[in-house]
Amino acid sequence: MVNSTNIDIRHVAKLARIKISDDELPKYSEEMNNIIRMVEAMPEIDDELLVDENGVMDLREDKLIDSKISRDEILKNAPKVVAGCVVVPKTVE
Amino acid sequence: MIKGYEVVVGLEVHAELNTATKIYCSCKNSFGLEVNTQVCPICLGMPGTLPTLNEKVVEYAIKMGHALNCGINRICKQDRKNYFYPDLPKSYQISQADIPLCHDGYLDVIVNNETKRIGIERIHIEEDAGKLLHSDKFDGSLVDFNRCGVPLIEIVSRPDMRSSDEAKAYLETIRSILRYIDISDCKMQEGSIRCDVNVSAHKPGEPLGTRCEMKNVNSFSAVVHGIDYEANRQIEVLEAGGTITQETRRWDDAKGESVSMRSKEDAQDYRYFPEPDLGTIVVSEEKVQYLKDTLPELPNARIMRYIDTCGLSYNDAAMIVDVPEKAELFDKTLEAGCKSGKLLSNWILGEISKLMNDGTDISETNLTPEKLAKIVNYIDSGKISTAAGKKVFDAVMSDDAGIDEFIDKNSLSQISDVSSLEKIASEVVSQNEKSVNDYKNGKTNALGYLVGQCMKASKGKANPAVMKELVLKLLDE
Amino acid sequence: MELYEYKAYELSDMLKSGEISSVELTQSVFDRIEKTDPTIGAYLTLNRESALFDAEKIDLKRASGDELSPLAGIPIGIKDNISTAGIRTTCASRMLENYTPVFDATVITKLKNAGAIITGKLNMDEFAMGSSTETSYFQPTKNPFDTSCVPGGSSGGSAAAVASMEAVMALGSDTGGSIRQPSSLCGVVGLKPTYGSVSRYGLVAFASSLDQIGPIARSVKDAAMLQDVICGHDSMDATSARRDYAPISGKLNGDVRGLRIGIPKEYFGDGIKPEVKDAVMKSVKALERMGATVKEASLPSTEYALSAYYIIACAEASSNLARFDGVKYGYRCENPENLMDMYERTRSEGFGREVKRRIILGTFVLSSGYYDAYYKKAKLLQKRIRPEFDAAFNDVDVIITPTSPFEAFKFGDKMDDPLAMYSADICTVTVNIAGLPAVSIPCGYSETGLPYGMQIIGRSFDERTILNTAYAHELDFGGFRSPVVSCGEVEL
Repeated sequence: MVNSTNIDIRHVAKLARIKISDDELPKYSEEMNNIIRMVEAMPEIDDELLVDENGVMDLREDKLIDSKISRDEILKNAPKVVAGCVVVPKTVE
Repeated sequence: MIKGYEVVVGLEVHAELNTATKIYCSCKNSFGLEVNTQVCPICLGMPGTLPTLNEKVVEYAIKMGHALNCGINRICKQDRKNYFYPDLPKSYQISQADIPLCHDGYLDVIVNNETKRIGIERIHIEEDAGKLLHSDKFDGSLVDFNRCGVPLIEIVSRPDMRSSDEAKAYLETIRSILRYIDISDCKMQEGSIRCDVNVSAHKPGEPLGTRCEMKNVNSFSAVVHGIDYEANRQIEVLEAGGTITQETRRWDDAKGESVSMRSKEDAQDYRYFPEPDLGTIVVSEEKVQYLKDTLPELPNARIMRYIDTCGLSYNDAAMIVDVPEKAELFDKTLEAGCKSGKLLSNWILGEISKLMNDGTDISETNLTPEKLAKIVNYIDSGKISTAAGKKVFDAVMSDDAGIDEFIDKNSLSQISDVSSLEKIASEVVSQNEKSVNDYKNGKTNALGYLVGQCMKASKGKANPAVMKELVLKLLDE
Repeated sequence: MELYEYKAYELSDMLKSGEISSVELTQSVFDRIEKTDPTIGAYLTLNRESALFDAEKIDLKRASGDELSPLAGIPIGIKDNISTAGIRTTCASRMLENYTPVFDATVITKLKNAGAIITGKLNMDEFAMGSSTETSYFQPTKNPFDTSCVPGGSSGGSAAAVASMEAVMALGSDTGGSIRQPSSLCGVVGLKPTYGSVSRYGLVAFASSLDQIGPIARSVKDAAMLQDVICGHDSMDATSARRDYAPISGKLNGDVRGLRIGIPKEYFGDGIKPEVKDAVMKSVKALERMGATVKEASLPSTEYALSAYYIIACAEASSNLARFDGVKYGYRCENPENLMDMYERTRSEGFGREVKRRIILGTFVLSSGYYDAYYKKAKLLQKRIRPEFDAAFNDVDVIITPTSPFEAFKFGDKMDDPLAMYSADICTVTVNIAGLPAVSIPCGYSETGLPYGMQIIGRSFDERTILNTAYAHELDFGGFRSPVVSCGEVEL
C-alpha cells in the first residue's frame, strides 16, 4: 500500500517545477494520502491498454498556410523580448 | 578490439524531414530564416491551441521504415514526453513511446569491403525544439522558436556496431538513404541530422558492459572521435580496476572529450503518456504497400548494380552513389547510349565532380546525358583522344557547341584507319634505324620514341594506341 | 419587462421582426450588468464598446436585408478559458492576468460568423479546477438565488451571469461537471455536448480527453440554438468528430411518448440529499405521465468513476499546464536567479493552491513507478465504463440522475476539504469519462428557494433526445424562475 509518507512529495513537486514550503508539506501530504486512499479502492483490472481504434484521426495535408500574425504580435505577451527573441535566464549547456 | 576489449556501439539518429510544413501546424518548415518569424500560436504552444498531424510525416517515416526493412505499425499513437526547457514551448515534446511507427528492421553496411548487418530497433516521429542563442555580451539566453515543430524521425539502432568505423559506415549509409528517398536534406552543419551515441566495452565472452550515452555528437567526424574517446576512457577505467557508471555524457567536439551531464540516479522522469489531443494514427495496408512499391532503388543496391553490370570498383561505385545527382547522371548517360560505364565513372568522378564541388548544378548546364554519352563513346572508340575529349567537354559547357562540328572544326578526330597509319609507321621505322636497333637490343624505351615520331608525323591525330600496335608489329617482324 | 429578461429564442424573433434592435438589447444587458454585477461578480472583463459596435453592425446588416443567423445580435457571455483575440483571457488565474490572445477559439469564430454579440469574459474556478468558482484568483462569484452561496463551478460566472440575466446565454466548459453543476446550482439549463461535437481549439485545456465547451441558457430552446451554432467538425481539432450535425433547434416538440427512461440506482445513493432525489423522481414521474416509460438501469462502475476521473484529469492537467513557465506569455516571477528559480517561483506564485494540488497529483500518477498502478488503471477503468453505458442504452433512451448531490452551499463550506469538494462532481464525472452528452435542467427548489437540478444523459451525439426530454420537462415544470438579486438595499 502506497501512502504519502513514502512518496517523495518534494521530488514530485520538483518534477512539476512547483515549490512547496515546509509548512505546506504536511497539508499536501495529508491530501495526497486521502486521494491515494480513494484511488486505491479501485478494482484490479486484468487488461491491457491498447491503441484506441475508435479514435482514428484525419491527418493534415502538408500545405503551407502563412500565419498572418506578425512577430511583434505573437511575442506581445512574452515577459521579456530582445531582438525578436524571448529572453530567459542563462541556460547552462 | 582495443587492449582485448570489444567496443559496442548503438546510435540514435535524429533526422529532420524536408516536408513543406511543420509536423503539427501549417507553418513553413525551413532553416535559417529571421528569428521567430516561422511561428504561429500552435507551435508556440499558446493556451488553447491543438496539434494536427502532417500526413507527409507519417508517409516519410514509413518510407524510411521500408528502406530499413522494418515492420510497420500501421495503427499507432503518439505520446507526450514531459520536461521543462525554454526551447520547448509546451513543456512537452510530442513523440512516440511504446508503439513506434516502424520497428525491427536492419541495414546492411559495407565496412572494409565486407557486409555487416546492423539491427534497427525502431523509427518514430516527433517534433523538434527551438534554439537557444547565447552571447557573452548579454546576461541571459535568447530563444528562437522557428525550429519548434520541425518534423523529426528518430532512428534507433541495436547495439550492433563494434567500432567507430562501423558507426561511420552506418551513418553514411543512413544519410545516403535519407537523400535517396528524398525525405531529408541531411545537412549536418544545419543540424538536420543529429546523433546520440551509446558506447560500452567488454571482454569477448563476457556480458555486455555498462553503457554511457553521449549527446551533442553533431558531425560524422565527431561520431568517430567521440566513440574512440569514450571507448578508450571506459577501457582505461576498467583496466584500472574501476567500474563504469551508467550516465549521460556530453561530447565537446572542440576539446575532443566527453563530460558527464547526469547519472542514472538523477535521470529525467519524462512521464510519458498518450497524447490526448491527437487520435489514433491508422495507415491503410494499401498505402503501406504503395509506399514500399514506389521506393526508389536504394544506394546499396545501386552500388552492387554498378559493380556487377558496369565493372566499377566498389570505391568508384560508392563515390558515385553517395551523391544522388551523380548517380542520376550516371544512369541517364548509360540510358542515352554510353557504352563504357568505367570510362563514364572516370568522367563523373573527375571533371564533373570538380564542377559540382564548385557549386555547379550539372542539370542546369548545357551538358545533357546524350552529349556526355557521345563524348565518352568517342573517347572509348578512339575517335578522339582523352585530351580532345576534355576540349569538347569544355566547349559544350561554355558555348553549347555541337560535338561533331567542334571536332571537325578543330580537327580533333584521331586517325584510327589502319592503312593510313601503317604508312606513317613504316616510314618512321625505316627512317630511324638506330632506334630500331636499340629496341632490338633490349632498350624498350626506344619504342616510346618511335611512337612519338609517328604521332608527330600524323600531326597528333593518330590514335596512339593503334599507332603503338602497328609500330610493335613492324619491330617484331 | 426589460429586454435582458427575454429568452434568446424570443429575442431572435423580436430582432428579426424589427421590433427591437441589437443595440437596444445589448445596451439593456450592459445596464443590467452595471446594476447587478457589482453584487454577483460574474464578469472578469467587459467587452462593452466592441459589443455595441458589433450590435450596430448587425442592425445595419439586418436593415440591408441580409439573411442572418438566429443568434445574430444576441449578447452572449464567454467563460474566461475560451480564447478571444484581443480580449484578455485569464482562466481566472494570476498566471494569465495580463494575457491577451492573438487568436479566436473556433467557437468564437462561429459565434462571430453567426453575428452573436460578445458581452465579456466570465469568472470561473482557476483553470476550471473547482466546483464553486472560489478558486478564482480575482473574485468570488455569488449565486443569484442567495448571494451568501456559491454559484457552483467551474463555470460559475457563466451560470450566474445567465441566471442573473447579465447575459442572454453563455458558453461554459465541462470537464467533470463544470457546465452542469453550476447550471444546477443557479437554476439554469446547461448542456455538456458529446465529446468531439464542439471544437476544443482555443479552449485552454484542463483535461484534453474530457473537456468540452457547451451552452448555458435560461431555456432548453435557447441551449439548442446555441449548440447548433457551436457544434460541428473542425479540422483544427484532431479529436473533433467528422459527421453530420443535424440542427436541433426547431425540432423540439416535447413529445416523450414511448421514450424509455433509465434510472441508475448508483446515482441515488446515500451521498445524495433526499430532497434532491425526491425532486428528480417527481420530475421523472411527470415525464412518465406524459407517456415515457421508466425502468431501472445499472452502471456498476460508477463508484470508481470519480477516482478514475481525478487521475486522468490531473494527469492531463499536469502536462497541459506545464506550458505556463514564464517564458512565452503570462506571469513571470520578479528577478529570477536562474532558470530553475524562474520556473519554480513563476509556477508557485502564478498558480493557486487547488491548481498546484492537482498538478502535483497528476505529476505523481504519471511518474516513474506509479504510472501502471494509477494512470493506466484509471484508463482501463474508463475503458470499462463506456460499454456499461452502451449496454444500458440498449434498454433505455435516456438516463436521468441528479446533477449535484446538494443545492448551492455557503462560501468556504467545502473549500478546506478537497474530497468533500470532489464529491460535488460525483453525478457528473462519469458522463465525461464516457464522453456522452448530458443536460442539467432545474427540477425543484429548496425551502430557501435554491434550485435543484436534474441531469439527462443520452447516447453519443444524441443531443436531440436529451434536449427534447428536457423540453418536455420544462413545459411541465415551468421555465426559468428568475431570482431576486439583492444588491445592498435594492432588490433587482
